[in-house]
Amino acid sequence: MRRLVFCLAVICVMTRSAAALWAETTLEKIERNGTLTIGTRTGSPPFAYVNKNNDWVGFSIDLVEKSILPVISKKVNKPIKLEKKESAPPTRIPLLTSNAVDLIAETMTDTQSRRDSVDFSLTFFATGAQFLVKKGSPVKGIQSIAGKRIAAQQGSTNARIIRDRVPNAKLLEFPDQPAAFQALTQGQVQAYTNDGIQLAGLKAKAPKPDDWIVVGEFYSYEPYGMAMRKNDSDFRQAVNIGLMEAIESGKYFEIYDKWFGPKGEVPYPLAPETKRFLQMQVVPK
Amino acid sequence: MSYHFDWSVLWTGQSGTWLLQGLITTLELSLLAWLLAVALGIISGALRTAPIPPLRWISTFYVEFFRNVPLLVWMFFWYFAIPPLLPESLQNWLFDRGVEFWAGCFALGVYHGARFSEVIRSGIQSIPKTQFEAALSTGLTLPQAYRLIIVPIALRLIIPPITNESLNLLKNSSVALTIGVAELTFQTRQIETYTAKAFEALTAGTLIYLILCLTIAAIMARVERRVAIPGMIAQSRAGEF
Repeated sequence: MRRLVFCLAVICVMTRSAAALWAETTLEKIERNGTLTIGTRTGSPPFAYVNKNNDWVGFSIDLVEKSILPVISKKVNKPIKLEKKESAPPTRIPLLTSNAVDLIAETMTDTQSRRDSVDFSLTFFATGAQFLVKKGSPVKGIQSIAGKRIAAQQGSTNARIIRDRVPNAKLLEFPDQPAAFQALTQGQVQAYTNDGIQLAGLKAKAPKPDDWIVVGEFYSYEPYGMAMRKNDSDFRQAVNIGLMEAIESGKYFEIYDKWFGPKGEVPYPLAPETKRFLQMQVVPK
Repeated sequence: MSYHFDWSVLWTGQSGTWLLQGLITTLELSLLAWLLAVALGIISGALRTAPIPPLRWISTFYVEFFRNVPLLVWMFFWYFAIPPLLPESLQNWLFDRGVEFWAGCFALGVYHGARFSEVIRSGIQSIPKTQFEAALSTGLTLPQAYRLIIVPIALRLIIPPITNESLNLLKNSSVALTIGVAELTFQTRQIETYTAKAFEALTAGTLIYLILCLTIAAIMARVERRVAIPGMIAQSRAGEF
């Protein structure tokens, strides 16, 4: 009995000190450590992936490094280093809430239910879900997947939509993109569904890009935002100002061009309405 | 900035159904894999002690090869590397019928079979050699001596380590989510996807695994007491469970 009381006391003390840590704001934490820790992907070209030279790079990472990091450095008055950690759909919210990372910068769709748990930045990219199939496949879009074996990424919004809209499609969920693509290559599945831009990235990086084709109308709307811990408006403000300044100064479009331009990793021209939408998110100084 | 717990996500919507489905899949997967592992373990464990060198070599190769490669690699091996070796029509037939479950089952069973084998070998080796000689001198052939005397005694001696391995197998079944098997851990992640409440979902999963393992441990402790051979294995004290 005495031991039990002792254990309970230890647990109480531990939770109390943990609570004290939680009380620290993200900007205070960044100032104390001198680092901004982001959660990002290793296999989602061109947003975040490990390239041929073994460098961890991508559009999302560039956005953080070139537009958000300078704003944060200025705010805390000291140079801040960027640290990257691997995050995946099932782990990104726990990574944030447990303080392991401060910002999720990858391909996370902003949704209403996710906003119950985390806060989102401005939308920095907008796409929709499509299908990647072998050339000549009977799958032409969401209307033709009934009874077919479809791969999706576990914990993604696409998987959820397929399950609700086409319940008789045989949905197989994989924890990451490489495993899902492997299953598609080998025929375990007949199509892989994900956000169109990611499929374009996967196709561009495949050993034989011409064997694959991205099909179907967008069957969902996927606005990407950067996620952070809830109710920390100073940090959120810094992130949003970084993005707004980048869009306003044109730096955003330079970075866009580097990754999605005609000579970029995944050519994907910016639609005029998307550009307009990005610009309209910028509020006056 | 603290996290707001909302436990109601576990009983509203489809969460309950998903957890139940996940639990059933985990149990099916673990049970089938366990049967395979025990069968492989008994055969290979017995062969490792057999007085015929080539049989010993074969089972030593099996044990060392399968237990020294990570389980995750075996999952990928059975799911990605084996099907392309089959004819295409058979592949499609398999893919339509959830081959990921069977791949997971094989991976788990063959991997843990190698580990069971070592437990069974140590059980056999703990039996005095005279027991074996006595069996042979009554006129039993070598296979008969193994089947009727040595293996039954060994199985009764090794219940504690076998319990340990069985619990490991049950928990390792969660690795199957990497090849898309919708078992318990997979379903807790699914709840997280729909509700964005990760801690609640993980807690539910943890509790289910804990209850499952404690139940199995309690049952095995009873079995251990019932089948213990007096004098050969220490009786567990009454009231321990």
